[in-house]
Amino acid sequence: MTSDLVSIGTVSADDPSIKTPGSALSRRNPTIKLALLFVVSLVLMFIFDPITTLVLYLLGLGAIGATARIPLRVLILAHIPFLAFAVSLVVVNALSRPGDVLWQSGALRVTAEGLSVGTALALRALVIGVLSIGFVLSTDSVALMTSLHQHARLGSRLTYAVLAGYRMLESLPSEWQTIRQAHAVRAQLRPNGKPPRGLRQYGRAAFALLVLSIRKGERMAQSLESRGLGLSPRTTWRRIPLTRADWVMAGAVLATVGAIILLSAFLGYLHGFSALRI
Amino acid sequence: MPDSGTILALHDVSVRFPRRPEAVLTGVSLRLAPGEQLIVFGASGSGKSTLLQTITGVIPHSVVASLGGSVRLGCDASAMQTSSTSVVALSRLVGAVAQDPSSSVCLPDVEQELALPLENRATDPGLISDHIDQALDAVQALTLRYRSTAQLSGGEGQRIALAATLIAEPAVLLLDEPTSMLDAAGLDAVRRAIRSAVDAYRPAVVLVEHRIDEFAGDAGIAGLPARALVLGETGIVIADGDTTDVLAARGRALNQDGCWLPLDTELHAVTGYSGGLGASDVRVGLRSLADLDTTPVQASRHSVGPIVLAAANLDIRRGAPPARRRGRAQAETTPPVLVRVSLSLHRGDIVALLGGNGTGKSSLMLTLAGLHPPTAGTVTGARPGMIFQNPEHQFVEHTVRGEIRHGLPSMTDDELESILHRHRLTHLADQSPFRLSGGEKRRLSVAAMLAHDRPVLLADEPTFGLDRRDTITTMTALRRAAESGRSILFSSHDLRTVATEADRVVVLADNTVIADGTVFDVLRSDEVRNRAGLVLPPLLRHLLDNFSDEEGRRVLRQLDAAVTGTTA
Repeated sequence: MTSDLVSIGTVSADDPSIKTPGSALSRRNPTIKLALLFVVSLVLMFIFDPITTLVLYLLGLGAIGATARIPLRVLILAHIPFLAFAVSLVVVNALSRPGDVLWQSGALRVTAEGLSVGTALALRALVIGVLSIGFVLSTDSVALMTSLHQHARLGSRLTYAVLAGYRMLESLPSEWQTIRQAHAVRAQLRPNGKPPRGLRQYGRAAFALLVLSIRKGERMAQSLESRGLGLSPRTTWRRIPLTRADWVMAGAVLATVGAIILLSAFLGYLHGFSALRI
Repeated sequence: MPDSGTILALHDVSVRFPRRPEAVLTGVSLRLAPGEQLIVFGASGSGKSTLLQTITGVIPHSVVASLGGSVRLGCDASAMQTSSTSVVALSRLVGAVAQDPSSSVCLPDVEQELALPLENRATDPGLISDHIDQALDAVQALTLRYRSTAQLSGGEGQRIALAATLIAEPAVLLLDEPTSMLDAAGLDAVRRAIRSAVDAYRPAVVLVEHRIDEFAGDAGIAGLPARALVLGETGIVIADGDTTDVLAARGRALNQDGCWLPLDTELHAVTGYSGGLGASDVRVGLRSLADLDTTPVQASRHSVGPIVLAAANLDIRRGAPPARRRGRAQAETTPPVLVRVSLSLHRGDIVALLGGNGTGKSSLMLTLAGLHPPTAGTVTGARPGMIFQNPEHQFVEHTVRGEIRHGLPSMTDDELESILHRHRLTHLADQSPFRLSGGEKRRLSVAAMLAHDRPVLLADEPTFGLDRRDTITTMTALRRAAESGRSILFSSHDLRTVATEADRVVVLADNTVIADGTVFDVLRSDEVRNRAGLVLPPLLRHLLDNFSDEEGRRVLRQLDAAVTGTTA
């Protein structure tokens, strides 16, 4: 699992080669995109059948694939954590939910209801996953914060604190590595000649990292204050546009989701919380 | 009584920190006219940085400290008392550039970084782009406009921080050791940037600086702010006036306090003559220092002891050791920082590792220490010790005592006390390592490492950011370790320290070792200095040109002895 996370780390949002400037989705307003992601996730909370969620996933995948220009390898790699989560949802629900037994071996039994609900939940995770991937890889972090400040009334102090914190996060891995190396110098070696790797050692390194990060955070906060962050009135140099195209996108997404749910209900596939009842 | 001729007025300012018995600043009064420039001298702990913090309002607003007296900024109607005005509101008048560029540049892009101060002051968005160009031009960094801040070198980052401060046109500019983290190339660019930016924006300036000669450049004392303020113990103003006069009157005392001073002032303090290296009396004085003491100081000693650490044909890549599964792919993408490096360390050697920022000095040391695997080549020898550039990276325990005992469970209390005593840490034994001053942290990190019996000690910039006294103390501890039979390899940007202590130097440039030889021979080579971007300070140039190696080394030791009050 660790190595999976490492692979995901290499396609994280701050790698410029992964960003998709110029794609249709990257030109849309970040606040609108974030709001849509939130609304769709919210609607999914009420849907418990695998058919509706599967259709939503396939449509989401198609829409992201068509508009975000994400390389296939990146799209697949980025799916890994969501897939792992999805598999665990299917397994847990299939094995633990009561209902018609499909298969049994000793204490293990799989129920039809469990499989159905588990698959629905798994697909729900994948829908949210694919939309999040599209959002993260098509959105510049600065543009997002600026847009939230501009369009969602996020305070300027909070906006820029988040941006500065983001910069600080970038330096944490190398700082951690240096601390671990510095601690290894005086450590008593294990019989195999390697420095110890216990919880205690990690705790000590984490404490040092915490102290150093707090200091650095304080200095950055002082820099931001000395640049006048928090004065009012203030202006915004490069406004993030909010155009008719953004509203059209929002309308299209919401209409599509609504239409699928209605169609699914009409055809009798749709299940809400009732699917959880025995 | 506000008057239009004063932009900054401190009246009887005192600062105390909780749980510290003595005051940090005591009764400081100071008036600065618009455009006037001031340099602050004082030993470490004399309150120089605290003085700057009272002016920005960080004291008392962001730091827990009690502030007595008053600090007023601005002329006439717009004047503000720092005690009753927030730091953010004070930023309309004050701008500050701090030591560490990595924490004074806060946003992902250079453009954004420069636009932020203007946006905060509600500048018309249509004018911002032109202002950015002007500010970048003033710090001679127009080409950096479209860069991301994560890619800036230290010198570039510091110029961007300076531009972001000046773009808001503060009436008062505070510079807190703005060049302390830079190598020769970065320092030169920042020095010129500060000069041209101050000419362009004409703020009043308060400067605190360690590397004074480098900051002043060829102009010497004339290149410094015209007015000087000297702070003494507990932050009392000892002198305030014309820089040349203040340094002439106080130079000797400041030198003994371990302050970094302009060379001319230091030579005046030691030889009794003014005029710097250009004056014949000063040169005669230096000559007499060389003759003062004739015990050999081993300036050109060749490595004679047995080899204790040998590196052969090392290739080194930076960053995390490649993960097993994707090792191949990574090895092909990142170019090595060093190739085919071979060197050996002998028992009793003191070797200096030189090279500009980013030439791989730290990577090489980590590899020699066995902490960073090379992609090719071998390191043979017993496990070395290493001290890191930032002592805080090494601290693992909650007390100084525990820190020294760390990793050595069999150490007796007597041994512990004797180590504490030898490194002047006894009075700090129960304090947290993180709460010590910069010089104390360095002493602790050296003491804790030397407590381990390792044949080789690697030291990454051990004198970085220290005042002169702490620099000498640290290097003396390393020399003693070498005299007791260890081998020392230290990296440094400070060629004077290198020439004072090292037997041998290894120079890194162009991804490999370009020179390995006795210190004075290597420093004399124009070709090596040019390739590695090493700049000889004037004193060193004079010694190399006019003195034998042995005599030059002796003069440097005597100049240090004038600070510590001991014979070399």
